[in-house]
Amino acid sequence: MEKSFFIDTTICTGCRGCQIACKQWHDLPAESTKNLGTFQNPPDLSFVTYKLVRMKEEVIDNKLNWLFFPEQCRHCIEAPCLQIAENPKAIYKDSDTGAILYTAKTSDLDADAIIESCPYNIPRKRDDGTLAKCDMCNDRVHNGLKPACVTACPTGTMQFGDRQEMLDMANKRLAEVKAKFPNASLLNPDDVNVIYLAAHDPKLYYEYAVASNNRAEKGISRKVALRKMMGPFASLMRV
Amino acid sequence: MDLNRREFIQVTSATAAGLAVSTLGFDLMPVKAHAQMLKTKYAKETTTICCYCAVGCGAIVHTSQRGDGRVINIEGDPDHVINRGALCPKGGSMKQLVENENRLTRPMYRAPFSDEWQAVSWDWALEHIAQKIKATRDATFETKNSKGQVVNRTTAIASVGSAAMDNEECWTYQAMLRALGLVYIEHQARI
Amino acid sequence: MTNHWIDLKNSDCILIMGSNAAENHPISFKYVTEAMRNGAKLISVDPRFTKTSSKADIYTALRSGTDIAFLGGMIKYILDNNLYNKDYTVEYTNASFIVGKDFTFENGLFSGYTKGKEGQGPSTGSYDKAKWAFEVDEKGIPKMDKTLQDPRCVFQLMKKHYERYTPDVVSTITGTSQEDLLTVYKTYSATGETGKAGTIMYAMGWTQHTVGTQMIRTMCMIQLLLGNMGVAGGGVNALRGESNVQGSTDHALLWHLWPGYLKGPKASQDTLTAYNTKWTPKSSDPQSVNWWQNYPKYAVSMLKSFFGDKATKENDFGYSWLPKADDTGSYSWFDIFDAMYKEKIKGFFSWGQNPACSGSNSGKTRQALEKLEWLVNVNLFDNETGSFWRGPGVDPKKVKTEVFMLPAAVSVEKEGSIINSGRWMQWRYQGPKPMGDSRPDGDIIMELFNKIKELYHKDAPVANKGKNNKKGKKSNQNSKGGVFPEPILNLKWDYETNGAYDPHKAAKEINGYFLNDVTIKDKQYKKGTLVPNFTMLQADGSTSSGCWVYCNSYTEDGNMAARRDTQDAPNNIGLYPKFAWAWPLNRRILYNRASMNPKGEPWNKDKWVVKFAGEQKDGKWTTTKWEGDIPDGPAFPLQNPDGTKREDGKNPFIMQKDGYGQIYGPGLADGPFPEHYEPLECPVEKNYLSPQMVNPTAVVYSTDQDSHATCDPRFPFVGTTYRVCEHWQTGLMTRPQSWLMELQPQMFVEMSEELAALRGIKNGERVKVSSARGEVKCTAMVTKRFKPFKIGNGIVHQVGVPWHFGWRWPDSGAEESANLLTPSAGDPNTRIPETKAFMVNVTKL
Repeated sequence: MEKSFFIDTTICTGCRGCQIACKQWHDLPAESTKNLGTFQNPPDLSFVTYKLVRMKEEVIDNKLNWLFFPEQCRHCIEAPCLQIAENPKAIYKDSDTGAILYTAKTSDLDADAIIESCPYNIPRKRDDGTLAKCDMCNDRVHNGLKPACVTACPTGTMQFGDRQEMLDMANKRLAEVKAKFPNASLLNPDDVNVIYLAAHDPKLYYEYAVASNNRAEKGISRKVALRKMMGPFASLMRV
Repeated sequence: MDLNRREFIQVTSATAAGLAVSTLGFDLMPVKAHAQMLKTKYAKETTTICCYCAVGCGAIVHTSQRGDGRVINIEGDPDHVINRGALCPKGGSMKQLVENENRLTRPMYRAPFSDEWQAVSWDWALEHIAQKIKATRDATFETKNSKGQVVNRTTAIASVGSAAMDNEECWTYQAMLRALGLVYIEHQARI
Repeated sequence: MTNHWIDLKNSDCILIMGSNAAENHPISFKYVTEAMRNGAKLISVDPRFTKTSSKADIYTALRSGTDIAFLGGMIKYILDNNLYNKDYTVEYTNASFIVGKDFTFENGLFSGYTKGKEGQGPSTGSYDKAKWAFEVDEKGIPKMDKTLQDPRCVFQLMKKHYERYTPDVVSTITGTSQEDLLTVYKTYSATGETGKAGTIMYAMGWTQHTVGTQMIRTMCMIQLLLGNMGVAGGGVNALRGESNVQGSTDHALLWHLWPGYLKGPKASQDTLTAYNTKWTPKSSDPQSVNWWQNYPKYAVSMLKSFFGDKATKENDFGYSWLPKADDTGSYSWFDIFDAMYKEKIKGFFSWGQNPACSGSNSGKTRQALEKLEWLVNVNLFDNETGSFWRGPGVDPKKVKTEVFMLPAAVSVEKEGSIINSGRWMQWRYQGPKPMGDSRPDGDIIMELFNKIKELYHKDAPVANKGKNNKKGKKSNQNSKGGVFPEPILNLKWDYETNGAYDPHKAAKEINGYFLNDVTIKDKQYKKGTLVPNFTMLQADGSTSSGCWVYCNSYTEDGNMAARRDTQDAPNNIGLYPKFAWAWPLNRRILYNRASMNPKGEPWNKDKWVVKFAGEQKDGKWTTTKWEGDIPDGPAFPLQNPDGTKREDGKNPFIMQKDGYGQIYGPGLADGPFPEHYEPLECPVEKNYLSPQMVNPTAVVYSTDQDSHATCDPRFPFVGTTYRVCEHWQTGLMTRPQSWLMELQPQMFVEMSEELAALRGIKNGERVKVSSARGEVKCTAMVTKRFKPFKIGNGIVHQVGVPWHFGWRWPDSGAEESANLLTPSAGDPNTRIPETKAFMVNVTKL
């Protein structure tokens, strides 16, 4: 049975314990940053930042909201990046966990094409073209531990377990929060193994909180376009 | 130290019979061919309590038993009843606090009017500090105050610190300071 | 905390005010979230919309420093609408006590006030607290009117005092809309219902004011009126900010205390008897436990831990060997740096602390350090204190101070215990060895004192042979003997095993030993065994205990702090009584007898804390038996099952002389009822409640470095300091770490869009924040989360700065401490500085 995350943003406090836990477990170096007038930092995901809590201040119905969105790879059920890579030595799926995994061989791929293929704008490349992103802490998962970000989360925002269990939890929680947040929704729950619950319009949190087909319009490669027409992930791309 | 069984998640077809209990009291699932071995597998495991705020979260420290014997991982302790494995970014960074190239690793001394530090031995440093304390204390010791009341103190030496010390150290430190006759004894709780 | 972290989950309404718990105590939100999922309401009151506010059901803003007005209005609301818990208020609080006729309150001043003389110390004035005393009967027991009708009873005086705190006046002062005030009042007051619990989570947002103690007192009054003390999900919960600040306070790294909250001795208390008599309260009320009547047992046991066999009855157990403070003297943080600045202090330890950034008015602190002869700086990293002589604007060639910088080990490199905010004492183990040549603090202390003792030991050889003396100075002439060596030579100092500091030995001494064979209640205890708990400590020198509240933490049953049993107690409210250990006596919720009605039945049957389960016959209790948490004493409840009074029943507030929760608090420096005064530096020309602008007993210093500016057009905006999740205190432990610096790299100032527009400031640009004391460059964070306040007829802007930065780290040297801005003025009870409300300007660079 594939594993899934359930990320309940309605209870996220933006503490960023997950963001650091990811760096810690993966021994990733820090980026040199500046304060850009926001608590969010670094400004974006990178080759050495797989997890990022995005922060937005939004007035919704005359009430100020500080929206937190702990972003990471969605580990798509039918992953476009994997499909267009066509190189299991570079990108493969762990059939036991459902993790979409990138190896050092991603340097052999057309990095920009892979990046463009992602409806969530996740993969990031190093100068040499190698790609990196969240690996679901696959080593931990295989050894009976939860992903580092999930273990670290204080409020229960980050959950991890069997896909069906997570889907059930997500649906139950969605029903609970509807009373307070009538516009709450699960984000692409059928297509991904990282299921977000958002209290408000997901686009308010982040442009790519839900799968975006804008990316295609920005100039997707022909190969991707073709696969998009034919592939089983057409639903995911909302085409 | 008594570590309880961690809650763990089950992957694929592993069964209870397949479980191996390591000497660390840590249940490990059979490692899949394509999964990496945990970096913490052969590490010494100790528990600690986070050194930052006063929630008192539990953490597990993994120390390499090979090479330099340094920390390779610190993460939240799932068996700790307060945090159940959770840690904020500060607690989650504890490894970088310990294994940090910016740390002081030897005593340093700065002479009057000097513009640099010089490395000194512990023995030299403590010997000189002891002499300074004694000289200042003996020169300024008041057995009686201006009203003629017995006070047995020095007000020429002061101390601040530290809520970062362990209880035992705090008690020992205040005992030393009070035996020396200090009344200027303060720390973080005042600010 | 009277309660503890996990207990937050039991609350029905959580007020977070004076704290930003989601940011600064993130794991607390595990339990805040759980409470909310069970239906609890979360209220966030803060000048700024914070991470805490983002999760709240109700958020409202108030201008910094106006919390007493805000909460005083809540007291009025509770009383006007009869929302207080009547049984609780009458039975368990001093609401019924009759106050003496000398008590008055007029024009913002209580009776007994004397204005301080100019130049006569830092206090602006003081009260004769005798004027506020209760009327007592012939036995000394306060007179009461349990109908609460007597015009001189606390309840009626309180009602009169807060009559002035109308929503209109409060709103004018705080800038909070009347609608928001009433929403908060109504929601929180609902916990006055029997069986409901409301809790308060506060932190430095309350303590760091010239009226800080009284802000907390106002909330204590509300908690007593609503019956929220002693119950699960209730209490008054200070969220302490340092991993062991509870322990370091328990162990009296503070001038005014001895370990275990014994009082620091004063010069007028010339003998141990005089000292004990002064601090041992007497109550002739049979219903009062008056726990502090045991004071001499704890004082003598502590002296035995100090001086061991050298402490004898004949020498007053070494009482005279310990230093005494002048009766009117103050030796607090402020006073240290004031005296240092005036060149009265020659030697200074900065041990695990960074005062060059951490105290308010750091500019004065940094200048004071230059006047020292020697400084010992013990830390993990070089810091702004150790390297003050090479800080911004300092010419090392002009600084005489000798500095010793000693490398300490990190907590995971040593063994020992710390105690969390919920009073849970937890043991930590050694992972790696100390890095390089760093050492645990315990070893440094032990070896340093060994060397000092050597110098004082008359028969010891001259310690300094000059061999390693790099400066070639002569050996110190006082190498042998010395002034008043007794306390140094007699200090019990046997915390060593195989040449290393042994925390277990110290932990056992803190718990305490039987020093003779002792028989207590027909049970024999052998000399040299650990005392099971503090009820067995003696005043005759037959027991030791370094810190009596810890007696029971390390017994013949083992190290209680190291326990890790994760099973909950039968009441299933998250006490986990066998996980770690809590003072006192492993009690997890203080004043828990108040969680029951006078018959011993829990107010809340589902979330009960303690339950009296003694046998009864004919409507009378016949045996004592308790279930749940460790009760505040094993005595019978106040009443029998049939409602008759028991003469041997005890009042729940056992640490108070009379056993009642103090709605009226005659012990504080600034009045028995909290009153709103403006911060020392404030943006308003008048106090809308009285002609008295500022706390009439506020502590204010007066060197050339202590300037203040109130209602001064040069500094038009309210400033406040706070913390962020990614840094800790002055940032000394977090700024040298790259992961945390990635998340919060630079000093910043948060301001509203309106203020930014007023000053032409763009988000993300560097700006200057200045006050009467100094200036700091910051990155502007322009945010909707700050809004201008409407105060009276004007608009008041507020900005906020984190206090985590300093020039030493990061390497750029461009990020400086917010405490260069903050004032040296403080609360008269605690002398904690007013860093949460002061006046600043913000300008483009």
